[in-house]
Formats: sequence, C-alpha cells, structure tokens
Amino acid sequence: MNDEPEARGPSAGVAGLVGIAVALLSLTGVALAVRSEVNQATERLLAPQAERPKVAKADHAEVAYCTPRFKEVLERVLHSCGLAADETRRGCKPADVKTFASIDDKDFNELFTPLRERGAVLLFDENLHELDEAAKKLLDDKWFARKGARYFFVVARASKTGTQTKNRALSHRRANSVMYHLKEAGQDPELEKKVGLLWLGNEFAQLSKDYCSWQTSRPDEKCDEQAINRSAFISWVDCRL
Amino acid sequence: MSRSRTTICAWVALVAALIGLVFAGLSTLDYAAHLDRGLHDVHCSFIPGAKPTSDGEACRAAMYSPYSALLKDSRWGGIPISLFALGAFTFYLGFAAYLLLGGRTASRRALGFFGLVSFAPLTVSVAMLVISLTKLGQVCKTCAGIYSASVLLAIAGAFAITSLRSNEPRRPSHWLMPLIWLVGLGLATLVPAVVYAASVPDHRPFLTRCGELQQPKPKQGELVSLRGARPAQTALFFEDPLCPTCKAFHERLAAERVLERLDAQLALFPLDNECNWMLDSPLHPGACIVSKAVLCGGDQARLVLEWVYENQETVANAGKSGPQALKALLRQRFGDNLARCIEDRKTETLLNNHLHFASDNGIPVSTPQMYLGKRRICDEDTDIGLRYTLNQLAPEVLR
Repeated sequence: MNDEPEARGPSAGVAGLVGIAVALLSLTGVALAVRSEVNQATERLLAPQAERPKVAKADHAEVAYCTPRFKEVLERVLHSCGLAADETRRGCKPADVKTFASIDDKDFNELFTPLRERGAVLLFDENLHELDEAAKKLLDDKWFARKGARYFFVVARASKTGTQTKNRALSHRRANSVMYHLKEAGQDPELEKKVGLLWLGNEFAQLSKDYCSWQTSRPDEKCDEQAINRSAFISWVDCRL
Repeated sequence: MSRSRTTICAWVALVAALIGLVFAGLSTLDYAAHLDRGLHDVHCSFIPGAKPTSDGEACRAAMYSPYSALLKDSRWGGIPISLFALGAFTFYLGFAAYLLLGGRTASRRALGFFGLVSFAPLTVSVAMLVISLTKLGQVCKTCAGIYSASVLLAIAGAFAITSLRSNEPRRPSHWLMPLIWLVGLGLATLVPAVVYAASVPDHRPFLTRCGELQQPKPKQGELVSLRGARPAQTALFFEDPLCPTCKAFHERLAAERVLERLDAQLALFPLDNECNWMLDSPLHPGACIVSKAVLCGGDQARLVLEWVYENQETVANAGKSGPQALKALLRQRFGDNLARCIEDRKTETLLNNHLHFASDNGIPVSTPQMYLGKRRICDEDTDIGLRYTLNQLAPEVLR
C-alpha cells in the first residue's frame, strides 16, 4: 500500500470536491426527508385519515337486570317522587308510588327480583320502626358494598295488621329509620342524592312469603307473610338512570 | 504505513457515518411521526430497517424524557437531538469520502482536524448514555446504534491521529481550513434542526380540545394531596399506581420540576376489576390493594406512591401472585398499621369515592390523566408535548 504511486489517486482538490459533494448531497437528502416527514405528520394532524380509537368513558355500573322496563319504572318513581338529585321533595306515599309507577303490584315486585343477591330485607318488630343491631349490621354491609351503583333504594312496608293510615305512617317511619342510620354511619354529604325512599304501607306491592328466602336481618326467626312485610327492602341499583 | 492508516480511518469513518445516519434517521422519524398527535409504534431494534413495534418501551421512555429534545417550551415536542446527530453525520460522511479519495494527499491539518472532531459525537454519546443509565434506568436500542457509530467514529479519529506520527510528506493546506471545516460541521449540524423547527405545525388550537371536569371534587381530604413545595397552579391527576405509563409520567413531572410547582391532588383509578366496575378483567391485578395502601399512607401517601413506582415491577409481580402475596409485601415495607388500614371498610369506601368521582365526570377509562385547574390535558400533550402545553396553559408552572 505504501508504495502505491500517488499519481493513480485523485488530486487533493478533486477529493475535496467529492467530499463536499457527498456532504452536501447527504445533507440535502436529510433536510428534504425531515421536511417531508414533518409535512406528512402535519397533514395527518390537520386532516386525520383514520378515526382515532375511541376510549371508553368512566360511568356508573350497568348490569343485565337493567332492562328498559326496569329503568323506566325506576326513573318514573325517582323523578315523580322527588328522589333525584336536584329535587326538594323527598319520598313518596303509597298512593303516589302506585300512580307514578303505573304498574301493578305483582309486576312492581318482579322488577326487584334480580336484586335478590344485591339487596336484603331488614325486618322490624310489629308496630315498631327501630332497627335492631342485626338490621343495622346488614344495612351497613349492603351500604358499603356500593361498587359502581349510583342509587340506593329503600322500600319500606307494613303488614296488613292495623289501618291503612297507621301503616302508611309506620312504613314511613321505617324508611326514615334506615335513612337516619345511614346518615349516622356514612357521614356522607351526598347521601340525599343517593338514597331513594319509598314507603308503601300495606296498600301496594305487598311481599309474598317467597321473599322469606331472601337475605333478611333475622334469618333464624320464623318468617311468614306478615313478618316479611314488616320490613324495609334495601339495595343498591346498578343501573344508569 | 500512514497511507494504510488513513485508508482504514476513512473506511471506518464512512461506515460509522452511515450507521449514525441510519439510527439518527430512525430516531428522528419516530419523533416526527408523533407530531400528528397520534399513537405510533417506535423503531427499537439493533437491526436498521426493522419494522417499528409496540415493544419499544425503552425507546419510548427515552423519547418522552426531557433529555430527548431541546426547546421543548417553545416548540411542541421540542427539537429532537437526533436531528443534530443527523446533520453532523452528513459532515463526517463527506469528510470520510474526502479522506478515502485523498489518501496520502490529505493534509496533516485535515487528519488532525478529523482526529479531534471525531471525538465530539462520542463525548455527547457518553453523556447521553450516562443520562440513560442514571435517569431513565434503561438504554434504548436506537440510541445504542448512535452510540456505536460514535465509538466507531472515535476509532477512525484515533487512526487519523496516529497516522500523523509518520514523517511522510503530505500536501500542505491553508491554516484557515480547519476553521472552515469547523464552520461546515456546525452548519451541517444545524441544518436539519432548522428545517424541522421551521416545519413543525402549530399545536396551540389542539391544546384545549379535551374537555373539562364537570362535577366538583369530592369533599376536602378525600383525594390524595401531592402539593409541591412552591405551588403556582392547581392540578388533578388520575393514576393507577401499577400502570407503567403513570410511573413514567410521574417521574417525568418530578424530573422536569413541574410537580413542585403544582398544588396537585391525586384521584386513584386502579385498572383492576376487583374494585373498578368499569373493567371486565384486571389490567393490573392488585392495583386496588395498592391504591388502598396509598390512601392509607395519609400524610405520607406520596411516599407510598413513589415507593410503589420505584418498585413497580416487584409490586406488580406480587399482585399477579395474588392478594396475600401483595399484602405481605406491603406489610413488610409499611408495617401492620397500614396492612390493617387496607382491610378497613372506610378505606374501601374512600377508594370507591375516587372511582365514583371519575364516573361522575365521565373521564376516559385510561391512565394517567392530568387536569390543570378544571381543564383536561389531552393524552398526547402529556408526553413529548408536556412542556410546550404547560408553557401555553400555565407558564407559571415552568418558572
């Protein structure tokens, strides 16, 4: 290599020119490529060709039992009975529920059948509205198992014993007992917006003895049609209403 | 002997410049593609031309890091440093061609100049490698390609310098030539960056298109406070402690000293269906338990969060092993009180409130998310465009 005649190679001037040409050509190519790539990105930015992948939005839970019929009735009751967020009225007396739900007793109860696992029945002593310790514990358990639900329903009833007027008032007090305990236990400023209170007295949607097999606050006591209606049914409802 | 050294030097420099051009080009390509605010796979392979894949976390981490570009405050995404490498390698390519053709006619000044400047890319590469290892904890393969080219170029430079020891006569060159070459190197280094900067689209109209929080925050104290030392702006984050993107995002905010300028609150949004009803299956198993651990941290919640981020792989593996393994790990690190708190019903309710806060506001089911005041920062503005976005929407945060 060392004794290779110098004359065979190009002169320094030619080599320099070639070097400059190579550098300029590659620099021009790089600059054009950069500009082209940025311009293409700009075109995609200003006129996107493909639809951007849609990202799911966070929302409250919606499970299979939220049929259109179920939601329709619940929404009607919620709005008509003043249970929704911005309303001032609170609660529905039995006649109102019957009117607003526009549904007969049997169908009304059947709507709640899918809530068997999610909900529970708090039982009361005859003519009384105070929650016993077992009822309070069951209420706490259900309340804290909220997950993605937005509304908590309390449907209080009274047995057929006594007058309609007395039972209306009694079921009202039972619903309020549940609400009072939730206020005590939960310390939740948004409570009023979450809990829907219904009291049905003994006039509408009485429970059959079949409901004794649901989770109750007195699983070891004798349960009959009278006992199961001295109650407040409670459940979160996993529907977007 | 010196002739052969010059030739070897030229060939090695030629190959180095070509390798450098390829890897710097791929890196620039990845960066420029993101200017459309879309999600793109990145080239992350030692094989030039290999297709970009989604499996390029190290390269993505490098790209999103504050060290990947200059002028990030004034240009969306900044000016990627790979552009300067591209320009410089074109100069080295030209100089290598000159040395290859010139052989013995190449002047001593040319060899000396080349010997000196060929170490410049290596110096920058070593600095970037140290940053990669110490700040990012990983090395991206595309960057490693550029580092390799820099090493080769330095080897070529070493050959050039050793060839000067020979007393063989060489053509003289004007004393101004090294200065002219240096100016050429500087200009070549700048040209791609200038072209890029002049072509980058205006992203300002896109920054405010991602909506606002509709519902007020939960009651005082329910969210986790991440209040910085010198807060200048309120902010809200939705994060999942086991989400790698959240970890990278959090670390980026800390590294860029943005966190210390924010009065930030954190809403936990674990992507785990054990507590999050918005998912059918767990994306990050154990994230609910870890989120409860963060909540249980109380005043030290940020320490718990940052410990989880630092040990995310270990914690995530424990989460995959099952709740007991994960709880044991957390108990081992933070003690029995925190372990008891995780099991407390109040903690479960608190985490549930965080999730309801997310659903009340209909936020996208993805993490991380950032809100400045009530305004949502678009996902695409939380990575390479973060500093630009902050500079536009809340410049006080960068001061």
